[in-house]
Amino acid sequence: MKPKVAFFDFTSCEGCQLDALNLTAEELISLLNAVDIVNFREVMTERADNYDIAFVEGSITRESEIPRLQNIRDRAKVVVALGACACIGGVNCLKNHLPVDAALRIVYGKDARYYDTIPARPIDALIKVDYYVRGCPPITAELLKVVKALLLGKKPEIPNYPVCTECKMAGNICVFERGMTCLGPVIRAGCGAICVTSGRHCWGCRGLVDDPNLDSEKDILQKYGLTVEKVVEKFKIYNTYAEVTK
Amino acid sequence: MVGKSVLVVDDEPIVRESIRDWLEDAGYQVAIAESGEEALEMIEKQDFSVMVLDIRLPGKTGIAVLKEVKGQRPWIKSIIITAYPSAETTSEARKLGAIDYLIKPVVPDDLERLIRETLDSVGREPTVTTEVVIRPKPRVIEAVEVKKDFVMPKENMRTIVESLAKEMEVVGVKSKYGKYVYDRISSFEELCLDYDVTVMPPTKYLLPAKETLLKFQAGDGSKVEPVIEAIPRAIVGVHPYDIKAIELLDEAFMSTNPDPNYIARRQKTIIIGVDCLNPSPKSFAPSMGTNLTETGFDLLLTDIGTDYMVTVGSKKGAELATKHAHLREPTGDDIAKQKAAREEALAKYKLSLDVSKERLPKLLEENYEDSYWESRSATCLSCGSCVMVCPTCFCFDVQDEVALNLKEGERSRYWDGCVLVDFAKVATGENFRHDKASRFRHRIFRKGKYILERYGKVGCVGCGRCATACLADIASPLEAFNAIVESAEAKEAAMRIVREVRAETELYAPRPAELVMVSELTPREKVFEFRFKDGKSLGQRPGQFVEVSVTGIGEAPISVSSSPTKDGTFQLAIRNVGNVTGALHALKKGAIVGIRGPFGNGFPLGALEGKDLLLIAGGIGLFPLRSLVQYVLDKRSSFGKVILLFGARSPAERLFLDELAAWSKNPDIEFHETVDRGDESWKGNVGVITTLIPKVDIDSKKTMTVVVGPPIMYRFVIGELKKKDLADENIIVSLERRMKCGVGKCGHCQINGVYVCQDGPVFTLAQLRNLREAV
Repeated sequence: MKPKVAFFDFTSCEGCQLDALNLTAEELISLLNAVDIVNFREVMTERADNYDIAFVEGSITRESEIPRLQNIRDRAKVVVALGACACIGGVNCLKNHLPVDAALRIVYGKDARYYDTIPARPIDALIKVDYYVRGCPPITAELLKVVKALLLGKKPEIPNYPVCTECKMAGNICVFERGMTCLGPVIRAGCGAICVTSGRHCWGCRGLVDDPNLDSEKDILQKYGLTVEKVVEKFKIYNTYAEVTK
Repeated sequence: MVGKSVLVVDDEPIVRESIRDWLEDAGYQVAIAESGEEALEMIEKQDFSVMVLDIRLPGKTGIAVLKEVKGQRPWIKSIIITAYPSAETTSEARKLGAIDYLIKPVVPDDLERLIRETLDSVGREPTVTTEVVIRPKPRVIEAVEVKKDFVMPKENMRTIVESLAKEMEVVGVKSKYGKYVYDRISSFEELCLDYDVTVMPPTKYLLPAKETLLKFQAGDGSKVEPVIEAIPRAIVGVHPYDIKAIELLDEAFMSTNPDPNYIARRQKTIIIGVDCLNPSPKSFAPSMGTNLTETGFDLLLTDIGTDYMVTVGSKKGAELATKHAHLREPTGDDIAKQKAAREEALAKYKLSLDVSKERLPKLLEENYEDSYWESRSATCLSCGSCVMVCPTCFCFDVQDEVALNLKEGERSRYWDGCVLVDFAKVATGENFRHDKASRFRHRIFRKGKYILERYGKVGCVGCGRCATACLADIASPLEAFNAIVESAEAKEAAMRIVREVRAETELYAPRPAELVMVSELTPREKVFEFRFKDGKSLGQRPGQFVEVSVTGIGEAPISVSSSPTKDGTFQLAIRNVGNVTGALHALKKGAIVGIRGPFGNGFPLGALEGKDLLLIAGGIGLFPLRSLVQYVLDKRSSFGKVILLFGARSPAERLFLDELAAWSKNPDIEFHETVDRGDESWKGNVGVITTLIPKVDIDSKKTMTVVVGPPIMYRFVIGELKKKDLADENIIVSLERRMKCGVGKCGHCQINGVYVCQDGPVFTLAQLRNLREAV
C-alpha cells in the first residue's frame, strides 16, 4: 500500500506547494510511484479526507484556522510543516509587531470590521509537528529527502549547524568580507547556502539552529556597522516569532 | 568593440530590455536575444566579452547554451540570472564556466559590478608577444634530478601549465572579489602565483566536501560496491604551509587503515608549490615551521625577479621539468636572490608564538582546566567556519542517500567538524561535547597537541584562515596558544614520511552477513544472530564492536554480544534508539546486512587471565559484557573466582532471562542482580547497582574489575570500587562514543587525543586519568 499524502495550506502565498512539485518529469513519476497524492489544491481538484502524511503550508493567523489544523493533526499519522510560514511563522509574523486592530486597519481600512485576525504563529505553536521542511521556499532536494526518509522509516538527517558550514563547503567568500551582513551564523543550514552562492546574503528563511548564539551574532552585526534597529529588522523578516513573539 | 560588449539572453522582454537599458547607461554595448537559439546564432556571427544568461529558457535551456558557447567561444564570460536557483544547476553552470549567479529580480548595481569585475579580469587577456628576450645562457640542463635547485625563466610557467592542461585538470589560485580562491584554470592569465592566502585550502582536491564511498541496493547488504573517483590533476601555486597540511593528510589517510579514495586521488595529483613572499597579516607560519618546506611537492618555485628558482621534489617533478622547462644551473647571484626573497618574506610576518611549538602539547595538557576555554568561547557561534577553512581538518560524516525509487543509493562522506553542536552526539541523545567551551578546547587541542602526538606533524600550519573566517574573532590557535603560559618540555615527535602504500579498497565496504536468528529481549531490545555470506567467522575479541549497515538508512557501531568461542555466527544485541537500530529491529530472518569490523581493542584478555574477576553490567551494558562472560565460562579454568553483578532499572527491563537464570544456578560463577525499582512480581534485590558492591567479597590484590554501563553509572560504581581498595590499573571500563567510520579518521569518537574506535572502547581507569573528557 502506497502511503496517502495530502497537502494543505493556511495563511501563505502557496509558493511552497507550487515549488514542491517543481520536479523533473522523471522525479515526478518516481514520486507518484511511491506515494498517492490524495489532496493537493494547487494541482488537482479531487479531494480525500483519508491520508497518512499531511504536508501543511502556511502559518496560523485566524481563529477559524485552528480547528481545521487540529482536524488535520487528528487524521494524519505524520504531519510535516512545509516552508517558512508553517515552520517558523515566517513573514506573516511581521504583523505581530503591531496591535491586532492596527494591523487590520492598515490592511483593510474601513472594511476592517469584516475581518478577524490573531497574532500569526507557526503550526507547532498549536499542534505537534513530526518533521520540518524549512525554507522560503523549501529546497526541492530536501523535501524529497524528507519524503524518502518517511518512506524508509528513518529520521531525515537535517543539519543542526549554521549556514556558514555549508557556505564554506560551497567555496563562497564570506558575505561580511564583501562588505555586507548576513544571518548565516545562526540560521540552520540545509539549503547549501544558496543565497550566498548566488551573490546575496542569508535572510534567515530556514529559522534558527537549535542553540543559536544570538548575542554574539548581534554583536557581530553591530561591529559590521548595523544599528540596533537594523539588526532587529534583519531578524524580523522571517524570525519574528522566535525573536519577538515568543 | 569586443571589450565592453554584452549579450543579454532572457525570454521575458521586460527583463532583457531593462538590463539592456541599465547597461547601456553604464556605457556598455548591449545586444539582446530572446531565446537560446537566437543567442547562439548571434554568437556565431559576432564576438562578445560577457553573456548575461537566463538559465530557464523555452526551447534550448541555459545549460545547453553554456555548453555550446564553451565549445564555440570559450572566452565569453557568462553570468547566470535565474528566479529558481538550485544547487544542482549552480554547480553544473559553474562546471561549464559560468562566472557567477544573480537571483531575479536582478539589482542593477549588482549586475553592473559583476560585469565590471569580470571585464577587469578579462582586461588582462594577453596580447601576443613576438619579442624574444635574449640573454647570456649558462649551461642548459639535460637531466633533472630530485632535490636539486634550478633556474627557469618565469614565462616558462606558461608552457608548463598549458602542457599540463592537455593531460589533466589544472587548478590554481585565482582572484575573486578581491580575495583568492583555488579554482580550475582555463587560461594561464587567470593563474595567480603571488598571493597572500586563499579563502579555502587546496586540500579540497584531496578530500572534497562530498564524495561517494559506496553504491548499494537499499536494504540488501550483499549488493554493495566501493566507489573511488579520482582524476589526474595538477594543483599549481600551493604555499608551503598548505603543502605541510597535505603531508599531514597523507599521514592520516595513507598510513594506518589506508583510505582508498584519498590515495587514488593523491597519487593522481601533481603539486607545484610556490614560496609565499607576501603573507596574510593573520598568518604565523614561521612559528609552526611551515613557511618553507623541503618535501611534499613535485616542483616548488621561488620568485627571484625575472626567473623562478625551481626545486625538484619528486621523480614526477623531475619528469615534468625535463619535458617542459628550460632550466639552467643557478648562479651564486640566483642563490643570493632566493635567500634575500625568503628573508624579506620572513620579516613580513607580524604574528608569532610566544613559545616554541614543541612545547605546545605539554602546555595545553597542563592548562586543560584553564578558565580561558570557557570565557573565550562565550561568543562562539558554533558556525563551523574555522574547521571548514582549515587545511589540517579532515573529520567527516557519513550518510546514506537513496533514489526516489527507494532502490539504488549511495553512501557518501561529507565534511564535518568538532565545533559543530551535534558532532559528538550519539543515537541515545547523549552529547559528549555538549557545550561551546569543550568543543572550542577540543579544536585547539587537536591543533596544538592531539594531531602532533598522533601523527608526528603539526596540527596547525599557521595559515591564519580560521582567524580570518571567524566572525567572533576567537578562532586563531595562535591566540589560544599564546594565552596559555606555562613552561614545559615537549617530546619531539618522530617524523614519518608516507609514500608507497597500497589501500584496502574494502575499507568502507561492508561484508554481507545474513540474519539467521532474531529474538526479542524486551519491547525495546532484540538480539540478532548473523552469519557471513562467505562463511568466514568474525574473529572478534570480547568487547570489540562492528559497524552494522542497513544500506539506505546508514551505519551504526554495535558491540558484539557473543563470545568468539561460539563458532560460525555472532550475536548483536541492539536497543531500538535511532535510524539504523530502528531499521534493524524491523528485519526478518534471512535479511542481509553489511558488517565492517571487528573494531576496537576489546577486553584485555591477557591481563584478565589467571585473575579473580568482578564483572559489573548496568542495563544494556550487559550487551558487550555478555561476550566476556561467555568467554570466561567457556575457558573457566583460565580464571580464578568470577563474580558477576547485573542491575536493571525494573524487572521488565531485565535482559537475557534464560542466561540470568542459568548463571544464578551455575557454581562456576557468583551472580547477583538488582533492579532500581521493583514491582509485585519481583522477589530479588531492589536498589541501584552500587548497593551490590559492598556485598561481595574480593581480594583487591588478585581481582580485575570490568564495568560496562551507561555513562552516568561509572562515576558511582567507580567510587564504590575505590572503597574496596582496587587500583586504577585493575578497573576496566568500556565507553560509548559516536563511532562513525571505525577506522580512526572521521573524528566523531575522539576522547581528547584518543580515537575510541582504535584505542578503545575498553580502557583501564589508569588510562582514563589522562583522558579528561572520558567520564
